Amino acid sequence: MRIAGLRWVVVGVPALIAAGCATFPDEATTRQNAEKMVSEGFSTSPVFAKRLVQDRSQQICSKIAGAPLTQQEAAEVVKLARASFQYPASGKLVGDWKIGDRLAHDGAGDRILRGKLEKRKENGGLCQNCHALAPGEINVGNVGPALTGYGLQRGNSEAIAKLTYERIYNAWAYSPCSNMPRVGATRHLTPEQITHMVAYLLDPASPINKK
Amino acid sequence: MPTTRGGIAAILLACLAVGGAAPALAQSDDPLGVGRKMLAEDNPGELWIERGKTLFYQKRGPKNASLEQCDFGMGPGKLEGAAARLPRYFPDTDKVQDLETRLLTCMVQQQGFDRADIVKRAISPGGSSGSDVEALALYITSRSNGMKVNVSLSHQKEYDTYKAGEYLFFRRSGQTDFGCVQCHGEANKRIRLQDLVHMTDKKGAQEVASTWPAYRGAHFVVRTMQWRLTDCFWQMRLPDMSYGSDMSIALTLYLNYQGNGAVIQVPGFKR
Repeated sequence: MRIAGLRWVVVGVPALIAAGCATFPDEATTRQNAEKMVSEGFSTSPVFAKRLVQDRSQQICSKIAGAPLTQQEAAEVVKLARASFQYPASGKLVGDWKIGDRLAHDGAGDRILRGKLEKRKENGGLCQNCHALAPGEINVGNVGPALTGYGLQRGNSEAIAKLTYERIYNAWAYSPCSNMPRVGATRHLTPEQITHMVAYLLDPASPINKK
Repeated sequence: MPTTRGGIAAILLACLAVGGAAPALAQSDDPLGVGRKMLAEDNPGELWIERGKTLFYQKRGPKNASLEQCDFGMGPGKLEGAAARLPRYFPDTDKVQDLETRLLTCMVQQQGFDRADIVKRAISPGGSSGSDVEALALYITSRSNGMKVNVSLSHQKEYDTYKAGEYLFFRRSGQTDFGCVQCHGEANKRIRLQDLVHMTDKKGAQEVASTWPAYRGAHFVVRTMQWRLTDCFWQMRLPDMSYGSDMSIALTLYLNYQGNGAVIQVPGFKR
């Protein structure tokens, strides 16, 4: 029965197209059509065009309509993420929370307008766009979980510092394909910048850990 | 203390300014809804409709022609309900076109304007008096006000474009790893204080499909769907989107099709 049904699809669909009955294209055709659109859809220099090319993890993480990852796919994303980790040359994972505070509230850097790159000394950390930060802050997003009291809940042990650093550097090592950008792995932020954000999250003196 | 109060007042004002949902969505239990409704009822974008109408019927361009022979899918010059069915396939260009690219076709073919020149000006600088394309797009869409979005798929290119749009909505790339769905896939989400439309939900898609072109308060001009997409890609750290690209049409077709049944009311009002 099932095979008969499949045979109808194999024979029937092309027949319908031939007869002028339009229908949804298959996945491979769609991918081909859409990728062509992407490659032609932006006016840009080759340097910026690189940003349009997906890496392997992004390909896996672009499931249509929230289709679940297979176990192998999730494992591959985690493996690639773990392989991406780079640590600051100093080896120190906890930097200056004051710099981290500033970075967390900075959403700018590296945008392209009319062919020109947004010129800044460094990129912002983007945290505030999606996460609640210090208590009482109102101008914060809610796409990601609240980080208020992050250090209070976890302490500031070395293990927590390493985990926090890695979660910022490449969140997909712990939550494959989550909405969180892999800000370290994609080079949006430097390892040093991430250490400041770790400090902002963990330091007892940081506003994020005030009650 | 007075500083605190001033701060709170400033925040409330900022909240009103960034609200930006369509008035139909303003809920009575939403404290920002009142402000949004007040802003939307006095929508300065209305002024662009008259200007667009004048531009539409005026003889313009090297060929000294009006746009009265332009076919937006319902026949030459027939504007009632035309925008409600866009994007759609057009046999003469053998392309799926949205409102703005169809308008471009007519401005080039019938009025003799230079395509590159129109494209360069299509998205106006903030605070300016706006572009011809923005005013025309608003006028033409306003002729579908009160009508339901009714995008259909029948030609093979419409099916192909729709599926490509769906694929693109979920396609992640760039240093932020963003696709559209990262910000627009869940209800009641915000970037900082700015509400994000939940586009994988029927109601959210309907908001998209029925409120553009819209008056953008922060820019003091009417903005179109092409602008909306361009601005998203900018924020995603991707390169400049080409105005009227097939990619933009695919995303618009995908979203508008999801938004079928929404009652068009333009100009929308955005923060």
